[in-house]
Amino acid sequence: MEIALENVWHSYDGETYVLRNISLRFRSPGTYLLIGPNGAGKTTLLKIVSFIIRPSRGRVLVDGASFWDLDNASRDSIRGSIVYVHDKPILVRGTVKFNVELGLRLKKRVDESIVEYYITRYGLKELENKSVNRLSAGQAKTVSIVRALVTEPTVLVLDEPFTYLDSTRSTLLIEDIMRIVRERGGMVLIATHYMYRELKALATEFVEIVNGEISSHAKNVFANS
Amino acid sequence: MAESIFSITIRSLYVSSVASLLAFIAATLLSLVASQLTRRRAEMVLSFFESLVGVPTTVIGLLVYMLLFPGGPLGFLRILYTPYAIIIGEFFVALPMAFTTMFRHFYSLRDSVRELVLSLGEPEKHVPRLLLRELTPILVSSYLTSFSRAIGELGVALIVGGGIEGYTNVLTTAIAIQTSIGNYEYAIWIGLILILITIAITFAVKIVGEYILWR
Ligand SMILES: Nc1ncnc2c1ncn2[C@@H]1O[C@H](COP(=O)(O)OP(=O)(O)OP(=O)(O)O)[C@@H](O)[C@H]1O
Ligand SMILES: [Mg+2]
Repeated sequence: MEIALENVWHSYDGETYVLRNISLRFRSPGTYLLIGPNGAGKTTLLKIVSFIIRPSRGRVLVDGASFWDLDNASRDSIRGSIVYVHDKPILVRGTVKFNVELGLRLKKRVDESIVEYYITRYGLKELENKSVNRLSAGQAKTVSIVRALVTEPTVLVLDEPFTYLDSTRSTLLIEDIMRIVRERGGMVLIATHYMYRELKALATEFVEIVNGEISSHAKNVFANS
Repeated sequence: MAESIFSITIRSLYVSSVASLLAFIAATLLSLVASQLTRRRAEMVLSFFESLVGVPTTVIGLLVYMLLFPGGPLGFLRILYTPYAIIIGEFFVALPMAFTTMFRHFYSLRDSVRELVLSLGEPEKHVPRLLLRELTPILVSSYLTSFSRAIGELGVALIVGGGIEGYTNVLTTAIAIQTSIGNYEYAIWIGLILILITIAITFAVKIVGEYILWR
């Protein structure tokens, strides 16, 4: 799968552009790291790549087809393979387990063994029947990441996944990212301020955004090691 | 001998729950429609209804009276001084309350639920169902709040209901009428029942808010 942005501009208010003339290409298998200061436009860019936001100008191409010009059925089917994890987790009323299963429930394919596996792996077992409004910041973040992982997406987009996560869980997540890319041939996009060594080694490409524009764009010469 | 307190209470509960149920349904539909508006327009609609909450119930009673009296536009229905007239009047009393207590949440939750559904790679058609699920406790407490406003109002019940014993007499009109004829003990008992109902609803709203909200 290939997702490409072609001369993408975006404005939330119709006046100021928070992304200006962005052209980028993301291919699977691959791991892409998005870096840049606060307010640079990373979240906006990731939401455009995940088809949550429609850009004000420019095209988003999926294997050459312009996503926003497709009919609803094709859009829905493309969307089905991509999952975006918010920087601030959005959880719904209910228990940890309910939230973890939410994506699968919507897709009508709850797989208990996968849910069980990830809940245990990320240390949520004791919390599984707890209401999500009583979680710590890191626990809530973990729930939202696990909710994405259990759907086994082909494209996983992570917005600041490591904030609030302890080092054990960060390491687990990096392992899972590696698995998606290397074993399943998927694609992972990550916006982060934390640069773990393992993550750096894993990256196919680094993209730096400053003030809505790409300021540097580098292939990782150490990748695939 | 005045009508039994029990039958007045039953009538009151019936009239007010039907009126607030209708108001609740209307407010929910209105919220669904209004949540499609831009934020500025939505704020305007909300302010409009917020100001309606403050309209005295006697004024609403008067307006409904003018609608239903024999020479009025709906006079042919012949429902003035019937329970239906009170239901219509209390509908307008409860509607602004129901709308203002639910709409703000509709608006903010709709955005986050939409983001969530899309972020999970799911089509937007799942949004209403999940939104409704998220809103349930808010809807329940909105209904209870508007019900307690309807059952506690006097203006509409007196003006378009008339407080006819055995027919349109409700708790509030019974208090007003019995007090005016010096039957204080009876009036006090009814007052106590009204207070009890209000307290029960307040507790129910609290429980819904605190315990069911995040279950
Ligand atoms: N919903 C919104 N409405 C209006 N403006 C927004 C909205 N979301 C973001 N912006 C603006 O767009 C710009 C880019 O924001 P974005 O969230 O993409 O930055 P970011 O690179 O993710 O920052 P951070 O590192 O803090 O997460 C910012 O100036 C922000 O104020
Ligand atoms: Mg961001």
